[in-house]
Amino acid sequence: MTKEAIIAALKTIIKPYSEETIVLETLSENTDFIKDLKINSANLVDIVLDVEEKFGIEIDNDSMAKMLTVQATIDVIQSKLGNNAGE
Amino acid sequence: MQGNDIVDLLLAQTQSNWRRKGYLDKIFNANEIFLVSSAENPDVMVWLLWSMKEAAYKIHNRKTGIREYAPKKLVCSILSKADLTLGMVNIDKAIYFTKSSINSAYLHTISSPVQHQLDKIKISIYEFPNHLSNYRNTKPACVSHHGKYLALTY
Repeated sequence: MTKEAIIAALKTIIKPYSEETIVLETLSENTDFIKDLKINSANLVDIVLDVEEKFGIEIDNDSMAKMLTVQATIDVIQSKLGNNAGE
Repeated sequence: MQGNDIVDLLLAQTQSNWRRKGYLDKIFNANEIFLVSSAENPDVMVWLLWSMKEAAYKIHNRKTGIREYAPKKLVCSILSKADLTLGMVNIDKAIYFTKSSINSAYLHTISSPVQHQLDKIKISIYEFPNHLSNYRNTKPACVSHHGKYLALTY
């Protein structure tokens, strides 16, 4: 799955958990969930669960530990899907 | 070093659905899940354990420079429950002690690597709209903000 497709899916997933609408619209690999999107840490779990459901993957604790930025989340999704193509 | 974390209980009720399938398994270990399921008020127990983890993480993150989202690595134990709840959080080989106060509106936890230092921490809690606007000038050691509440410790 391409990076662009993952970012588009992430925007939909993140929307209910962030009030930073401008940051969300311009979401990029460098966006940080807590520093930029001001997502409550208890809602990061929801994002992890939503990503699991949306992409049909299982995110282990070590992968979840890294999921603080869009880039790290893309990396986790692509590696779980066994697909690093689309760069 | 010290940490602090405040939870606006009314906001937490609508902001997070911890009863969602898979939610608690991502953040709590088996003993913590048992504490929730056997609690008189499971909602309060969830946010108590969560704020203990947050308050401990704030110190651990500054001490080690490690930034990660690994709530299960922070292992909570509750030592005593009276007016204030005393607890302990283990992460890797570090131990942090916690003291939490709970009322119907909010839950607040302070943390320290040294147990007796907890009594020396000064706490100021402000409720919106009466926030201290220039609080940075007061040089708090730790700041926590959630919903209507701003908690500063010195």
